[in-house]
Amino acid sequence: MTFILETLLRLAAWLLAAPLLPGIINKVKAWIAGRRGPPVLQLYYDLARLWGKGVVMSTLASPGFIVGPAVAWVALVGAALIMPLGGAGGALSFRGDVLLLVYLLALARFCTAWAALETGSAFEGMGAAREVSYAVLSEVALITAVLSLSVQTGNVTLTDMLALSVGSGAVLLAAGLFAVLLAENCRVPFDDPNTHLELTMIHEAMILDHSGPPLAVILHGASLKLLLFAVLLSQVVLPLGRLSPLAAAGALVGTVLGVTVAIGLVESLTARFAFRRVPLLLTAAFLLCLFALLLARKGGVG
Amino acid sequence: MTAGHLLLFAALAMLVSALTGRFARRIWLASTIAGAVAALAAAVWVLAGGAEFEWRSGFPVGGEPLHVRFDAISAFFIALLSIVGGACAVYSSEYWTDEAHPRSARAGRVWWSGLLMSLGAVLLSSNGLHFLVAWELFAVSCYFLITLDRQRAETRQAGWLFLAASHAATLCLFAFFATMAARTGSWELGPMRERSDLSPLFWLALLGFGVKAGMFPLHIWLPSAHANAPSHVSAVLSGVAIKAGIYGLVRFSGWLPPPAGAGWVVAALGVASAVLGVAFALGQHDLKRLLAYHSVENIGIILIGLGFALVARAQGNAAWGLLALAGALLHVWNHGLFKSLLFLGSGSVVHATGTREMSLLGGLWRAMPWTAGLFMLGAVAISGLPPLNGFISEWLVFLGLFDAVNSPGSVALATIPALVLLGMTGALALACFTKVCGIVFLGQPRSGAAERARECGPLMIGPMIVLAAACLAIGLAPAFFYLAVARAAAEWNPAWGGVGGPASLGTLGLANILLLLVGALAATLLWWRTIRAGLRRAPTWDCGYAKPTARMQYTAGSFAGIINEWFAWILRPWREERRPEGAFPSGASLVDHTPETVLEHLVEPAGEVVMRISGLARRLQHGRLQSYLLYIVIGLIAVAALVLRANGP
Repeated sequence: MTFILETLLRLAAWLLAAPLLPGIINKVKAWIAGRRGPPVLQLYYDLARLWGKGVVMSTLASPGFIVGPAVAWVALVGAALIMPLGGAGGALSFRGDVLLLVYLLALARFCTAWAALETGSAFEGMGAAREVSYAVLSEVALITAVLSLSVQTGNVTLTDMLALSVGSGAVLLAAGLFAVLLAENCRVPFDDPNTHLELTMIHEAMILDHSGPPLAVILHGASLKLLLFAVLLSQVVLPLGRLSPLAAAGALVGTVLGVTVAIGLVESLTARFAFRRVPLLLTAAFLLCLFALLLARKGGVG
Repeated sequence: MTAGHLLLFAALAMLVSALTGRFARRIWLASTIAGAVAALAAAVWVLAGGAEFEWRSGFPVGGEPLHVRFDAISAFFIALLSIVGGACAVYSSEYWTDEAHPRSARAGRVWWSGLLMSLGAVLLSSNGLHFLVAWELFAVSCYFLITLDRQRAETRQAGWLFLAASHAATLCLFAFFATMAARTGSWELGPMRERSDLSPLFWLALLGFGVKAGMFPLHIWLPSAHANAPSHVSAVLSGVAIKAGIYGLVRFSGWLPPPAGAGWVVAALGVASAVLGVAFALGQHDLKRLLAYHSVENIGIILIGLGFALVARAQGNAAWGLLALAGALLHVWNHGLFKSLLFLGSGSVVHATGTREMSLLGGLWRAMPWTAGLFMLGAVAISGLPPLNGFISEWLVFLGLFDAVNSPGSVALATIPALVLLGMTGALALACFTKVCGIVFLGQPRSGAAERARECGPLMIGPMIVLAAACLAIGLAPAFFYLAVARAAAEWNPAWGGVGGPASLGTLGLANILLLLVGALAATLLWWRTIRAGLRRAPTWDCGYAKPTARMQYTAGSFAGIINEWFAWILRPWREERRPEGAFPSGASLVDHTPETVLEHLVEPAGEVVMRISGLARRLQHGRLQSYLLYIVIGLIAVAALVLRANGP
């Protein structure tokens, strides 16, 4: 009974907190640009509004157009439930759960790309192609990061892998994972969530045709994914296992907010890269994770 | 009733099917199914813990007594053979009918029975001589099935290439079995783990079985054979026949002591096959050729698992080796199931539209909802995504490699690249299958043929449902199927007999079940909400463009363009473009094509060198009798000189 209650509580925390992040990022961007910007809770209003709206669906689309976003959202929620939260651990924790997390993210990607291709539009095809292609590189970086966490702690269970800081490699790993976070969540410099030129978009191009409740589900899923990566990044850096539960929770929330502000700063201060330079940046992220891995390995042996 | 009785019944049923295939279609189908079910029951019997079956005939056949050995490894592969063989036989009865193919349908049925029987004999025979005979029969049946449609020059060429590659492989196997027989003094096969003098023979086996398995760079025959064979044949080729190569490798790496470093070589070949297989797949525009390259990729994943199992065995039976081996073995099943499902799906597409060219397909989901749905399930499975079976086996291999990295010693560092590249393979496969599903089944039909497509009948859909159900079952109850895998693994290395499976496999299955249920629930809820909120249909919003056409959609080539560019160094794509020029461009075109690079840039040039040398030798033969007499005289003098030298002082 307590397990169910705890899981529900955890679920509520993830679902309710996620839409906050894009709001904070936009606020930071507005401050830097000297504007007032939309309210921090804007995405909540948007989601509520979209949920009540009607849907226009392409005449070409199959039911997969609606099913895809739903399954992608479920996969992301599943990934969030596996992700440990400080001392509280994950709702579901077992040996090898980290691989389930990585593949749930992949499932979400498959479903989003599938739904995009439903419309037969060249723009959405382009977005889907970019999404799955760049994901190859970010997945390589992510696997390497996971591997270095595993080597550092001698474990393949997320809760244990994230309990302690990775030590000397933490900075490298944090830098690498931050780049992966930006790429996977389609932020500047990989993609610009604010652009209105379809030719230059990745994620936004994929969801051009979605509207109403399915769009709300996609937007909520995207914010959930952002929160997921921010939480992962924070726990990689923080030795939460050494703190008391309350302090750990405070530190986690603080760091996630810090990461969010950092994303806002990056978006304000840099421009989007040309597409041919995206692989270079992702390769750099992979190398950072690889160096962290080698450091962890060296530390283990020496 | 034991495994032996069931096997005997299966053999008799298959014999009936081979004899009746020419004239009695119904009896052929019934007896093939009966044989498959009996063989499956026998395999389940042994895998569930029943007694293994061994039988030696009192009478010799070809100078040697028959020796049938039905242990867990044989049973493991027989199970796959019977499911895929039976399902594809049902499929073929609607797909390759007497009416549509009067010249080949009858022969196709007989060779089908021949293929199932000879492959069964390969998997059961425990005598080198009979193994070779069965192996040759198996290769010949494959050849005749591949070339069923031999009016087309492409098919004849593919069949010829298959036959050549297959015989090159058999040559290695002849050398392998003959040397082994010479060293041991008998053609009998069995565990010879103590005979370290036999270990170099492993390289011959790797070459011979590697060609059949289609590992890189010996896969040259595979794409064209799979693409040009009828689809039910492609399904059994990819699902089962190439697994015969894996069977050989598993069998003889288990029975013989492998040489030092064998594990690393196998794993390295596996990594190369996995990454390059999927890279080549991404470059293809032919639906079945693309699927064929994915076989290379999946064989690579199996080889990675097997290679690390060998490494672990050499390192004192480390427990992570069992995980890698279990992953490899389970992937043999999984790939057999989802790849034959995908090939059958592609067969339905070809059946309905008459083309394999993806740029002519599109929007098929409307006309063929069953095929589209089942193909998508196969795509999710082959991309290694939860909650289906591909994820389970990749998870096991991953877990084994993670443990290897965390193990003390020199193994760890060398495992890192394998692990990273395995992760990359998964992401590439996902990219490739979003492309296939999106281009073939979604969007707008790109040609009249795709527009006129009709769903295929129940005899074609039924087998696909069976295969899809098997994929789902392994995904949802991995701990249950692991028991069978563990028995085969214990047969391979008895030291792993008592080691239990990973405890988290049950939890993983539970997570998959939850994912499936909640996913279905969420999809239903969102659909319901969408209907309630008001659903309106309108043309795709193409950036405000009022009249989008089918030709404006993204194509297979452009979808894979980014990744193809990364792999251009090995893919060597051929490209011909005519850019629009001037103020009023009159036309533009772009054609690109990814060739079979190893064949065209390595094997064919080497073949040409051989042909040129042979051409030089031909000058000696010109029909002038005087010169021939001169050759004889020179030859005699040379022999005499040799003899004199040998007997000289």
